[in-house]
Amino acid sequence: MTTTTVETSTAPGKPRLRAWMRGVLAGPLAFIASWILMAGAALYLPKGAAGIDNMVFPVVLFPLIWALLFLYSLLDRRLLRAYGVVMLLLAVHGGLIARHLAGAGA
Amino acid sequence: MIKLSQERTKELLAIHGWSGILLGLLLYAVICTGTIAVFSTEIGNWSNPLDEPATDSLPANITPLVHELGADVDPAHRETFFLYTSGGGRLMLQFEGHLESEDEDGHPGAEEHYGVLYEIDPNTLTVLNRTEGPEALLDAARRTTDALADFFVDLHVRLHIPNPWGLFVTGVLGLIMMVAAMTGFVVHRHLIRELFTIRRNKEALLRSRDAHVIAGTWTLPFAFVLAFTGSFFSFATSLGLPAMAMVVFGGDQERAIAEVFGEPPATDDTPAQVADFDAVIADAQARTGARPNFVAGRFYGRADSQLVVFTPAVEGSLTGRSPVYSGVTGEFLYDKPILVGQQPSAGNTVAALMGPLHFGNFSGVTSKAVWFALGFAGAYVALTGMLLWTNRRAEQRAWQRMSRLVHWVGYGLPLAMALTPYGTFAGRWFGWAIEAAQWTAFGLAALAALAIAMLARSVAQVRAILVATTGFTLLGVPLTRLLGGGPGWVEAWSGGLTTVVAGDIAIIAGGIICLGLWRYGAGTSAVETGRASAAAREAAA
Repeated sequence: MTTTTVETSTAPGKPRLRAWMRGVLAGPLAFIASWILMAGAALYLPKGAAGIDNMVFPVVLFPLIWALLFLYSLLDRRLLRAYGVVMLLLAVHGGLIARHLAGAGA
Repeated sequence: MIKLSQERTKELLAIHGWSGILLGLLLYAVICTGTIAVFSTEIGNWSNPLDEPATDSLPANITPLVHELGADVDPAHRETFFLYTSGGGRLMLQFEGHLESEDEDGHPGAEEHYGVLYEIDPNTLTVLNRTEGPEALLDAARRTTDALADFFVDLHVRLHIPNPWGLFVTGVLGLIMMVAAMTGFVVHRHLIRELFTIRRNKEALLRSRDAHVIAGTWTLPFAFVLAFTGSFFSFATSLGLPAMAMVVFGGDQERAIAEVFGEPPATDDTPAQVADFDAVIADAQARTGARPNFVAGRFYGRADSQLVVFTPAVEGSLTGRSPVYSGVTGEFLYDKPILVGQQPSAGNTVAALMGPLHFGNFSGVTSKAVWFALGFAGAYVALTGMLLWTNRRAEQRAWQRMSRLVHWVGYGLPLAMALTPYGTFAGRWFGWAIEAAQWTAFGLAALAALAIAMLARSVAQVRAILVATTGFTLLGVPLTRLLGGGPGWVEAWSGGLTTVVAGDIAIIAGGIICLGLWRYGAGTSAVETGRASAAAREAAA
């Protein structure tokens, strides 16, 4: 229900806040999420014959990942859901990276 | 036709417009300079030709000269060496190593790159110039040879902002262009019809809007490809590779490099003979079917020396090849993928495709001409998009100022670019630092254009003055080249320097077109004058 309240609110002052929150999500947060997703994806994508596909494909696809996250962040009418999706991607891939680095350091 | 609700169309149109207007001016600069940079090799050959034409492939019979010059370099500065061609087809031979500095107490300090750069006439195999010093000095010498092309390429690649920040900025601009292309695709509800629609009998604003849509729709796939590959180039080295080194290899750069580019051979610093370069180049040509244009080697004159020979793509292939040879015996060792990995892979193929798709250099001058035309159309779409956006809001003072800003960059940048060769040739003639002379010419033109944009009575006048000045400036470029010591047309033609004549003709044609646009063009269109009716503005929206 909280989601609905945030999404449908037209109270004075709220639209400006919502616009800022959406801007932060579509701008810096989507960019950081794309970067973390790119780095994290290298840990689970297949390495291929030469052992480098898992590193090359995320780097090549990074612009597309960002563009899709950017557009999604701006177009999803439920701002909280958009935050949830971006944060989930960020958390999953950030967690993968942290686990890998912790394992490598041990 | 893509079905969208009216509300969703409005949202996408807002994203399309705002993404363009916020960073559109910088994006326009990147597209304009990228369009010119497609012909960077030809610009180098036009602006700094040798007495006789030379190709961009490595010349024959270079072994004795390379051996002689290599022997003249301190072994400490021969860790890496490169053979490649530069402006006018000059052959460049570069050696680099490390120079250990000492602090005041005599302790080892920071290491810096240090080396020797030879500039060689490939026709006579005589040394034209020798530069020895730290990396910055070698860079400056290298840039002087190909100064004009480098100026435009650097402006395109990083807007002359120091790395990695310049790459970040152009990378973000590429992302913005992708968003504009994607949203432009979705909001055009009648995509096929809009490919052919221009309302000739309607108001000028509507005609301008139709022209923007037609140019944008026809070039949409190309705009997407350029933006995508451009972002890849900007972010791959500045963000992608460091991230991979950190995550996959735990920050171990050496292991990352070994994985991506191959394990280096076992170290053996025993002095050894140097391979026969002509034999190696001939073997690479026989294996790949193309004359090599680049050789990269390491540990010149040592037992562990290796050479990687790069050849361009042959007909039927999308990418070139890079066989590896012993730097001692010249024996063929193995065929290495041209970019990454030690054997063919999907990742290497995809990464190698990025270059031809972005540079348009896969089919010689023909594909470059197509890329130039599509890039020009992209610049037109970016500029007309910003003009339409500001014109729709022309009743507000802030947007009137924005309109002047758009006119300054939109028409002032081509003027500044047209004036840059004056700096190149003046620098060469008077012995000034060429890069500084180019910056002076570019900067003065930009400042003059800014003054015109601020002081002119209307934006239509801004456009008229800047387009006319650009036309006259372009017409004067061949004469300046001649005064700067370049060959005349008869001399160039009889010497086989066709690029010089073709370049002059293209520039004169550009000047005439500008003057035609000034005299007969859409100088009084509603987009420029802001006289469009409210109804037309609404319809254009």
